[in-house]
Amino acid sequence: MGDKPLWEQIGTSFVQHYYQLFDTNRPQLESIYTEESCLTWEGEQFHGKTAIIQKISSLPFHKIAHSITAQDHQPTPDSCILSMVVGQLKADDDQVLGFHQSFLLKGFNNAWVCTNEVFRLALHNV
Amino acid sequence: MSDGDYDYLIKFLALGDSGVGKTTFLYQYTDAKFNSKFITTVGIDFREKRVVYKSNGPGGVSGRGQRIHLQLWDTAGQERFRSLTTAFFRDAMGFLLLFDLTSEQSFLNVRNWMSQLQMHAYCENPDIVLCGNKCDLTDQRAVKEEEAKELADKYGIPYFETSASSGQNVSQAVEVLLDLIMKRMERCVDKSWIPEGVMQSNGHSSTEQLSNSKDQGKCSC
Repeated sequence: MGDKPLWEQIGTSFVQHYYQLFDTNRPQLESIYTEESCLTWEGEQFHGKTAIIQKISSLPFHKIAHSITAQDHQPTPDSCILSMVVGQLKADDDQVLGFHQSFLLKGFNNAWVCTNEVFRLALHNV
Repeated sequence: MSDGDYDYLIKFLALGDSGVGKTTFLYQYTDAKFNSKFITTVGIDFREKRVVYKSNGPGGVSGRGQRIHLQLWDTAGQERFRSLTTAFFRDAMGFLLLFDLTSEQSFLNVRNWMSQLQMHAYCENPDIVLCGNKCDLTDQRAVKEEEAKELADKYGIPYFETSASSGQNVSQAVEVLLDLIMKRMERCVDKSWIPEGVMQSNGHSSTEQLSNSKDQGKCSC
């Protein structure tokens, strides 16, 4: 970990933190968003932390588990971090589904916040 | 299972809120055997069953029964994450619309599912059977039988109280849906109203059917 660039360390830590909260206590994800954050969930747009948390918290399942297959991180010219995650998830007793999720992270008041997020299930032919 | 030795291939789709028991219902109907074919990348799961259909109406086909290859499609839980699109309803011919008798919300959402169906299915009045599932959980029941019947009557569709866990009324519901489909077919001599690929005469395997399904399901009705 030590020899990895800082943006990769931050990206990896964020991803771990995000899915840990998502799988155990979705409303707590509120701390990573701001009023300017944008979420696109399966093509549907949400703007601001309240709308985003409302969407994420109301997804209809009792338990969910994510498994991260791969993640990539990049520094952007304006000192943000772009992250892409490919993985699998299992909601309640449903079958395992693949997903893709991207994040744009920005340093804000000595903390990192997620300004942009995009989610899609990895479904084809539907 | 996928050999071409049948008269018709018919696809049914199970719909309804998450957790109402669609997967268990289909599992129960297909003899509780786990021979389901997972197509994870597609996010759809289907099971198959062979049945013989004998027409009992006047003017129906007499003689030997029709050999039906039934494909029962499940949503694989994707409705938890996304609203189902037109393509999802693909070329399904009949619909099993389930709600949970112990969840009033799932019953209220039947109206939404009906309008989704009327919008996205191959025609405005597709064949649908409404199933109030989990009728074995009598002490947790939240929806009265009369309420559900009333709603089904309003839509002009049959209603069954089912239990996917005990099997009560499960095959009856599917059989009634099949009967509706076959009756509809008999009414239409040239069958031209049927979306291509939904109703298939003998000679095609279901695997061929699947690989072709991208181009099908578009109908002009």
